[in-house]
Amino acid sequence: MINTEGMVAETASKIYTDLCGREVPHEAEAGQYPQALWDALSENGLPLAWVSEANGGFGADYDETFGAIWASAQAASPVPFAETLIANWMLDRAGLAPADGSASFALSGHTPSADIPFGMHADKIVLFDEAHHEIALFDNRVAVRSPEEALSPDGMTQFVFSGHVAEQSAKTDLSRRAFEALILTVRAVQMAAAMETALNLSIDYVSQREQFGRPLSKFQAIQQQLAVAASECAAATMAATQAASAITRHRDDPEQAWHEAVIAKVQIGHSVEAVTVPFHQVHGAMGYTQEYDLHHYTRRLWAWRDALGNEHHWSKRLGEELAVTSPDQIWKGVTTGDWTDGNRVAS
Amino acid sequence: MQRFNFPVVQPDPALEELRRELQAFLKEEREAGNFRPEPECWMASADPEFSRKMGKRGWIGLTWSSKYGGQDKSALERYIVTEETLRSGAPVGAHWIADRQHAPMLLKHGTEKQKLDILPRIAAGECYFAIGLSEPGAGSDLANVKTKAEKVADGWKINGQKIWSSGAQICHYMVALLRTSPADGRNRHVGLSQIMIDLSLPGVTIKPIVDLSGDAHFNEVYLEDVIVPDDCLLGEEGSGWKQVTGELAMERSGPERFLSSYITLETALWQLSGKMGSDSHARLGKLIASLRTLKGMSWGIANLLKQGVSPDTEAALVKDLGNRLENDLTQQVRAMLNDLPPEDWSPDMRRIMNMGVLRSPPNTLRGGTTEVMRGITARQLGLR
Repeated sequence: MINTEGMVAETASKIYTDLCGREVPHEAEAGQYPQALWDALSENGLPLAWVSEANGGFGADYDETFGAIWASAQAASPVPFAETLIANWMLDRAGLAPADGSASFALSGHTPSADIPFGMHADKIVLFDEAHHEIALFDNRVAVRSPEEALSPDGMTQFVFSGHVAEQSAKTDLSRRAFEALILTVRAVQMAAAMETALNLSIDYVSQREQFGRPLSKFQAIQQQLAVAASECAAATMAATQAASAITRHRDDPEQAWHEAVIAKVQIGHSVEAVTVPFHQVHGAMGYTQEYDLHHYTRRLWAWRDALGNEHHWSKRLGEELAVTSPDQIWKGVTTGDWTDGNRVAS
Repeated sequence: MQRFNFPVVQPDPALEELRRELQAFLKEEREAGNFRPEPECWMASADPEFSRKMGKRGWIGLTWSSKYGGQDKSALERYIVTEETLRSGAPVGAHWIADRQHAPMLLKHGTEKQKLDILPRIAAGECYFAIGLSEPGAGSDLANVKTKAEKVADGWKINGQKIWSSGAQICHYMVALLRTSPADGRNRHVGLSQIMIDLSLPGVTIKPIVDLSGDAHFNEVYLEDVIVPDDCLLGEEGSGWKQVTGELAMERSGPERFLSSYITLETALWQLSGKMGSDSHARLGKLIASLRTLKGMSWGIANLLKQGVSPDTEAALVKDLGNRLENDLTQQVRAMLNDLPPEDWSPDMRRIMNMGVLRSPPNTLRGGTTEVMRGITARQLGLR
C-alpha cells in the first residue's frame, strides 16, 4: 500500500478533494485551466516536497509524498503536480533552486528534441543532459509544441532544443539510471492510482446500469472480467509500492532503486491492456464518450505506459541486464528485492 | 484509501541466513544425485527419505512448539524453506500438506494426546496427511459432500468416498469434511464436520488414479463402515464448513501458488547463459517483473497472517494471478529455448520442460479453481 498518511499526503488529498472535483478535468480539457488548484498546491509548498531544506524546500519523506501523488492521479490531475515534483527533485540534485512555477522534465537522448509531459502547461522544463552530466532549466514559452498528437491532455509535447539558452544549469553526480528510477516510480504510483480509480468507476457503473431486468453486476461474465481486472490493479499497487519503498530506502543513492522501479514499469505497463479493455467493455458505449469520466483514467494510462519508453522496451532492458547476471543473482532479487550484483561493473 | 491491503515488508537478515543453509543443503543433495528436480514438486514429487532428511534438520514443523517437536519459529521461516525447496524442485510432496495445514489444524483442535503423538512425527518427516475434501459430486461445489459420519458408541462410523486425495497411498491420516447431520433446508453449510481418519483402519480402500503425465499421486479413498474414536472430530461438530474455508484462505497465498514452475525457468537460465536473444530478454524481463510482484504480494500476506489478520480476498487474488503466472512461465520458457538448438538441450532441461507442460492443467484447479477465486474477488468488490 502507498502511504497516504502524513502531512504531505493528507494536505494534497484535501486540496484535490476540494478543488478537483469530477467536473474539473472536463473543464480543463475544454480550455479552462484550474489555476486555483495549482495555486493551492503551490501555496502549501507541495511541489517543493522533495527539495532539500538547503535549497528552499522541506525535504519531506519520500514515502508520504507518494501518497500525495496517488491523490493527484485519483483526481486525474489537470495540473503538472507530479511532474513539478520530479523536475524540482532533479534541480535539487544538481544543487539548483526549485523552479519558479510549475515544471516538467526530460532526459536527453541523442537527438536535440525531447518529449515533455504536460508540455502545454508547465512554466519551466528541466533537462538532464546525459552527455554533459548536467541539469539545465529552460523556460517553456519557447517550446515547439505538437500537443494534438498526444494520447491524453497531459500527454507528451515535443520540445526542440535548438539555440535555447538555459536559465540555469549545473553538474550532477547522478547517473541516468538514478533519474529513471525516480521517474518510473512516480509514474508507477500514478498508474496504480488511475487503475484503481477506473476500477471503482467500473464497479459503480455495472452496479447501476440495468439490462435484461437486472444490474450488469449480477452477470457472472461481468463479475469475472472485473475480478481479473481487480487482480491486475492489486498487482499494480504492489509493484508501485515496492518501487516507492526502494527509492525511499535508497534516497541517497537512487540508482540502487533502478531494478524495482523498472519492475514496476514492466508489471504495470503490461497490465494496462488487461484493465482498460474490461473497463471499457463493461461500460459499453457510455465509457467511450467524452462526457463520462472513464477516459480521464484510461487515456492517461495509455500515455503513461509509453512515457520514457513502453513496457516492451523496459522488459527487454531488464532482461538484458539480468541475462548477464547469474541465476542465483536473479533468484536473490526476486525473493528479497536485493538486485546488487557483486560481479556487474557499474555502468 | 486503497482497496487492497498488501504491506511491503523488508527482508530480515536472520531469515536470509536460513535461506543460505537451505541452499547449501539442496545443492548438496541434488549434486549427490539424491533427487531429480521437478516442477510442481510439492504435489507430484514425494520421497519419504528426503522428508526425513528435512525433518532431521528441523525444516518441517518450524512454526510449532518444541514441546511437540517443532522449532518455535514463525510462518516466515517456513516461507523461506518452502520457497527454496520449490526453487530447487525438491521432492517435498510427502510432508508438504501435513506441515502446511494439518499440523496447524491439530494444534488448534487436537487433544493433547494427539498433539504429543502425531506432531513430533510430522516434524520428523515421518507422518503424512491427505486432504479429504473433494468427492465425485463435490468439486467446486464443495458443500455438496455426501460422505457421512454417524455417531456410534465411543466414536463415529464413516461411509462414503473421497477423491483427488494427493499422496493418500503414502499418507498415515486423512482429514475429511463429512456430513454429521442433515443440511438445514437449502443451507448446506450446516451439519458438516472435520474428522481425522487413520488410513490404516479397516474399511479404508485407497485406489490410485493415474494422471495424463503417468503420475499417480491422486487417489480415490473409499470409506466403508470405518470406525474412528470420538477425539478424531477436529473442532466443533457442525463447524466444518467455517473451519475449511478459513483454512483454504490460509493456504492460497503461499509460494507454491506462483513458484511451482520456477524450476523450469531456473534450469533454462543456466542453459541459456550467454545465448539469449533480444526476444528472450523481453520475455525474461516480463517474467521477472511478475515474479517479483507476486513475491511482494505473497510475502505481504504472510506477514499479515503472522499478525493474525486473514486477508481472504488478497489471498484469492494471489492464487489467481500466481496460477496464471506459473502456466505462462512454462510457455515463455518454451519460447526462450528457441535460442538453443534442440540438440543442445540438457536431458534435465527436456525432462523438466515436458513435465512442466504436462503438469500445468492442475495449477488453476487445485485449492479452488480460478473461477471460484474470481467469484470470491467479485464478492469483495460488491458485485455478488
